[in-house]
Amino acid sequence: MIPELAHKFMTADQLPLLKQAIIREVKDSPLRINLMELGFLPGKIICLHHVAPASGPMAFLLEETILALRKNEASLLEVQLL
Amino acid sequence: MSDPIKSTAIKSPKVAIIGNPNVGKSTIFNQLTGLNQKIGNYPGVTVDKKTGVMNHEGSTYQLIDLPGTYSLYPNSEDEIIAHRVLNQQSEIEKPEYVLMVIDSLQLSRGLFLASQLIDLGLNLALVLNMSDLAEKKKIDIKGFELFKALGVPILHTDARASKGLDQIKDLIHQRNFAKPMEFLKVSEYLDPALLIDVKEKFGLATDYQAYQLLRFGLKDRGLSPEKRTWIADKLASISVNLEAAQLEETKLRYRKITEIIEKVVIKKDAIPPTTNKLDKAFLHPVFGYVIFGAILLLIFQAIFAWASVPMDMIDGFFAQMAGWASSNLPEGVLTSLIAEGIIPGIGGVVIFIPQIAMLFGFLAILEDTGYMSRVVFMMDRWMKPFGLHGKSIVPLVSGVACAIPGVMAARNIGNWKEKIITIMVTPLMSCSARLPVYIILIGLVVPDEMLFGFFNLQALALLGLYVLGVVGVLFTSFGLKSILKTTEKSYLMVELPSYRTPRWKDVLMTMYSKSYTFVTEAGKVILAISIILWVLASYGPPAQMDAIRAERDQQIEQAQSPEEIEIIEVEASSRLLESSFIGIMGHAIEPAIRPLGYDWKIGIALITSFAAREVFVSTIATIYSIEGDPEDDLTIREKLNSQINPNTGEKTFNLPTAFSLMVFYAFAMQCMSTLAIVYRETKGWKWPLIQTVYMTILAYVSALITYQILS
Repeated sequence: MIPELAHKFMTADQLPLLKQAIIREVKDSPLRINLMELGFLPGKIICLHHVAPASGPMAFLLEETILALRKNEASLLEVQLL
Repeated sequence: MSDPIKSTAIKSPKVAIIGNPNVGKSTIFNQLTGLNQKIGNYPGVTVDKKTGVMNHEGSTYQLIDLPGTYSLYPNSEDEIIAHRVLNQQSEIEKPEYVLMVIDSLQLSRGLFLASQLIDLGLNLALVLNMSDLAEKKKIDIKGFELFKALGVPILHTDARASKGLDQIKDLIHQRNFAKPMEFLKVSEYLDPALLIDVKEKFGLATDYQAYQLLRFGLKDRGLSPEKRTWIADKLASISVNLEAAQLEETKLRYRKITEIIEKVVIKKDAIPPTTNKLDKAFLHPVFGYVIFGAILLLIFQAIFAWASVPMDMIDGFFAQMAGWASSNLPEGVLTSLIAEGIIPGIGGVVIFIPQIAMLFGFLAILEDTGYMSRVVFMMDRWMKPFGLHGKSIVPLVSGVACAIPGVMAARNIGNWKEKIITIMVTPLMSCSARLPVYIILIGLVVPDEMLFGFFNLQALALLGLYVLGVVGVLFTSFGLKSILKTTEKSYLMVELPSYRTPRWKDVLMTMYSKSYTFVTEAGKVILAISIILWVLASYGPPAQMDAIRAERDQQIEQAQSPEEIEIIEVEASSRLLESSFIGIMGHAIEPAIRPLGYDWKIGIALITSFAAREVFVSTIATIYSIEGDPEDDLTIREKLNSQINPNTGEKTFNLPTAFSLMVFYAFAMQCMSTLAIVYRETKGWKWPLIQTVYMTILAYVSALITYQILS
């Protein structure tokens, strides 16, 4: 990993609102395949669209769709801010 | 009209329609088939099987509307069905052609499923729907390039505006489907040698079919046990990680699709991401919930106001029919069975239709506008700690009107445990059938006075009962959460679709199909229980029953006026009920219900109202020999107020007993229609029985505590 880019790596649940990020990896988990079939794949660009109150689900914009995930599922997506 | 399905069953080709959720697939199906639709069942699952007939230029086609799915990986019952039908394991359901609907804005996700269909070796055509939205967003899809890349015929449509539907009809009519080359060879992620015997055993044409069957066959309970054992043995004999192969397959597929999309999609200008204005309001941390509450209030207002009219008409109609039957058919057991058992039994099923249809109509509107998934999004956080899912909110709020549509709506919850918990607790929400019981009893014991000059005491008591229902739901689901075990991981992955105006035709179709399912599936059980209850209430030890009847007839003969005859008849029917088998049962359970403050007369009402809670009122009217219109609250109230409990010497319906009864009705199952629908939705008697037992215990204990504290 290049040091000066390090701060830009995070998991999707830590993304700031309306900032685009690219998915680098989907962590191994029983839910990995479910995320991938929805289109959460390495190389895709996502952006946090909305967060439900009290650390509720997070809605991400992926291509033209808004998809809601729980914080736990979002933390499976390793992303890099653009 | 002749039934086109039967007359041309052999010749008319079958076309399956498939697509991701929210792509307008059902709109296309509805527009192609019109009202020529049938709703049936797939064996082993609760998914509705929607088939229809399309007539075009003198030919007929059978259309199957498959449930929406993102892939052929079967995660939910819906997806298992898509998997089963398309893998062609069942000869009856095997479609000759497959029409896949893709949202033009979600091309890559749509193509993922499309590429799987290609590899199954299906005769395929693609419909790129919602072309209007794509145009608005300045996305241009080159259909011909896509055709060249996939080898599958492509159509552009805008189904909401009915654009392109004639082309779909022509395409089907001209059999313009294609079976292209494999999209992704199985050999790229799995050794095809492993699949040779699978192909042989099941008579499959392609490697991908064999791989799908091996990977997911065990999830499909529609397969014969022999085949399932074979698959299990085969899986045990190989040492390949099929899950890893599936991940690899997913990656490779999307990689190829991305390459194709780069060639066929032209985005004219990229629009920076912004938050939708409507979402700002509907998902607001405070106003979002306020708006949701207001919408619910509006819906319930509408249901209570509008459903009561057809419900009263149905009620009146069946009462008249029963009256007509008993006065016009020859006197005897059969007539009495028809007039007092079967006709009210059918009436008891039909009476629910207005509520079910209206509730599902509203739910369909909320769903179709895209609002419902926002509610799921907002509520998930609050449901999760109780072992429920964001999607449980729909059944629970439906339960305030009626538990039946609520339980039916639980079907959308994918996780088994969360679905069962939701079904188990939904009947604890105070439904509209409890209202007559609450209103009579509150009117009896709670003074119509103001507290602090502001709160009406009776209204407060009623509100308290609704709150009690919600508390019961949370308490029970929390308990079930720790009891039920599952290896399934709970997750939330829902699409928040763009806001759109609802398609009224689809809303009407939903109202029709849900009511139809209820009547045909639950109706049988409800009718059966009604007849059993009728037998128990009309028969007893013959000697006693005959004696009462003889005495009645004798008294009637000596009577002077019609009023006197009415009094005699009312009193006789009270005594007949007391001597019937149900009456005997009421006496028998008295020791058990005495600590709750009830006498045997209430015991009888508890048993008869197992059919439906509102029966409590009419039974009470019969057993206390209340003359006149039993629907008139005031007559009943006066009569009940004067009843003395022989055990205590006090008023039967004093404050402790009335509250104990209301708490009992808040929690007890007391609704055979709910029981029947739970039986249907869980495919067996295990869960409805567990539910009845736990709710009865909960009701008993809570009523006991209430009575002991208040008295």
